Amino acid sequence: MSVREIEYRDALNEAMSEEMRRDKRVFLLGEEVAQYDGAYKVSRGMLAEFGERRIIDTPISESGFAGMAIGAAMMGLRPIVEFMSWSFSLVAADPILNNAPKMLYMSGGQFGCPIVFRGNGGAGGQLGSTHSWCVEGLYSNVPGIKIVMPSTPYEAKGLLKTAIRDDDPVFFLESERMLGTKGEVPESEYLIPFGQARIARAGKDVTLVSFGRPVLFCLEAAETLAKEGISCEVLDMRTIRPLDIGSIVKSVRKTSACVVVDQSWSFASPGSEVAAQVHAACFDDLDNFVHRVHTVDVPTPYATELEQEYLPSARRICEAVRACLYRA
Amino acid sequence: MPSTITMPRLSDTMESGTILKWYVKEGDPITSGSVVADIETDKATMEMQCFDDGIVSKILVATGQQVPVGTPIAMMTLEEDETDATAPTSPVAVSSAEAVLTAIPLSDHQRMRVSPIARRLADAAGIDLNAMTGSGPGGRIIKRDIERAAAAQGVSAPSVTVVPTAPAPIAPMSTSRVVPIVSKGRSELALAPEGREVALSGMRQTIARRLVESSQQIPHYQVSMKVDVDALMELRTMLNGQLEPQGVKLSLNDFIVRSCALAMAQHPFFNASWAGDRIVIHGAVNVGIAVSLPAERGGGLVVAVLRDADRAGLRELSENTKELAEKARTRGLSIEEMSDATFTISNLGMFGVDDFTAIINPPNSAILAVGSAIQQAVVRNGQLCVGTEMKLTLSLDHRVIDGAMAAQFLQTVKHNLENPATLLV
Repeated sequence: MSVREIEYRDALNEAMSEEMRRDKRVFLLGEEVAQYDGAYKVSRGMLAEFGERRIIDTPISESGFAGMAIGAAMMGLRPIVEFMSWSFSLVAADPILNNAPKMLYMSGGQFGCPIVFRGNGGAGGQLGSTHSWCVEGLYSNVPGIKIVMPSTPYEAKGLLKTAIRDDDPVFFLESERMLGTKGEVPESEYLIPFGQARIARAGKDVTLVSFGRPVLFCLEAAETLAKEGISCEVLDMRTIRPLDIGSIVKSVRKTSACVVVDQSWSFASPGSEVAAQVHAACFDDLDNFVHRVHTVDVPTPYATELEQEYLPSARRICEAVRACLYRA
Repeated sequence: MPSTITMPRLSDTMESGTILKWYVKEGDPITSGSVVADIETDKATMEMQCFDDGIVSKILVATGQQVPVGTPIAMMTLEEDETDATAPTSPVAVSSAEAVLTAIPLSDHQRMRVSPIARRLADAAGIDLNAMTGSGPGGRIIKRDIERAAAAQGVSAPSVTVVPTAPAPIAPMSTSRVVPIVSKGRSELALAPEGREVALSGMRQTIARRLVESSQQIPHYQVSMKVDVDALMELRTMLNGQLEPQGVKLSLNDFIVRSCALAMAQHPFFNASWAGDRIVIHGAVNVGIAVSLPAERGGGLVVAVLRDADRAGLRELSENTKELAEKARTRGLSIEEMSDATFTISNLGMFGVDDFTAIINPPNSAILAVGSAIQQAVVRNGQLCVGTEMKLTLSLDHRVIDGAMAAQFLQTVKHNLENPATLLV
């Protein structure tokens, strides 16, 4: 079977369409997913193929349709809920945090909740403070949720198919900034298991650990640093929960240095969790403490230059790597 | 104003002490009367209290170090410093602690900074970190420094890539031990564990010194006797059965203590000490019991003292013995609880030991070594039958006690044990 280049948004579309053909219980709902083909054209053509019973336009009421979808999941369907932006999921906090991840536990195993919530996360598009949320810091704190952050079209398709087949609630964090990114995706079917990091670039001097879009910044930084004679190993974690700490440990034992790049705020974040686990598991292997690159600890600025400075960037990653290797 | 905490003199004979454990760390607030450390002296482990309110600004003597009495072991800044007008305006306690920290010259006690991987590589390559200057921040010795030093010495720096096994995916926050990664081949790792040296605890030093003195200076000799304990075992079973509701459980050892205490009152030279130009006969009969300490508390043994044992009944002796042994094994005994024994009993019967000889615990003149009560073939009234016997072995100081005296003492003890009613009333 051949490999072709497709956009990240089409990889998502293929994953949903293939799973809907395979399993009649799967359906998609969200704002503008049907008549308008999706606010970001992710569900293009799906209404035509699957009809309005399975591709459902909802009112602008996240709390309502998220709650309804959770009910459907409890009764045996497999809903995919599209949030136009993960920033809007905050108004649905009670159903998605208080019901979905606890349902199996609180019902004593009577009701599962096989549901996927997906949408755009992260800043970078001048959307201002309230619409630029990186929710992974908030949501990874909650047990019972699986959190996926695909960094390429290939990861997006393989991970979304796994998410739809998973029996637990999965938060699938895409990025508006990456929807148009192209990448190689095989035509044949494949799935990517959760909790298995990908070595995006092999190296020996420092381990860069990242999730989602910042993996791309890490690869860019690794190019720059290679010219300075620093060899970076870049780990694309793919999922925050479950976290593949084993792959991180294996790499850090080799490099003795670790820099975590995370687009959430630093306080109580996936990055701080990775650092804590690395310090515990690799204490005697480290030549320096784990360095971290995060968004700056302020509300997201609107001005382009400020917003770019606020986010993790290749330049800031290079600075952190040099400091971690005592080369600053 | 900073105040100095020095190694206290916790007993008359104490010349130095070892910090076994600090209960505080730098920056901790402490209040008068709180326990700041466990100190091991030549005799015991004791808690050290502090007598001021303030903040620990510097720990000067690390855990495990032994220093003479009077040596500064920690610095603290006293409570009133916090209201010092020159102190930073920030009200948090940390700020005043930091202020004092910078005011104390650290040269002698400055901590060597080494990154964990650098320390490990230096160990493996046999590189002395003390002789190195680190190139990291604050002089931290880092991996690069070790690699350079190894290259300069012509030692090949051990590679960190020699991972013996691929690490299995580990659970979050796993603290499972990892096979040390050193420059050894797999076959070498499979060899028997290396020999090692064990530093002497204060107690081990004391045991060594006193027993060498005893063994070299006291003319030891031994006298043994078998005791028929069938009647005693029967009595003990009956008493324990009837007294069970009251929580009383008498051990064989309790009867032996009682028997010896009564015999000592009858034979005063067994309650005596050699004093060079005279023999001192003591008034009170204080029976010492050797108590072995668990390995996790450092092992060793102490002698717990049952005071006025001749005037205590079995129930009281039993309770006191249990209490002292338990305290010795968990929290440690006070100096008083270990002082003034006039005779000592060492019982290894519970370990299945038939008989053994003990070294006298100075300034005692005798020690009794007790073996197991064993069922065996015995001859009673010309008949071969099954009986329970126990062997007692006295070690004696011939300067104080002669052989016939020892035999008479043992006869009394034996008589008491074989006719146990004498021990009850």
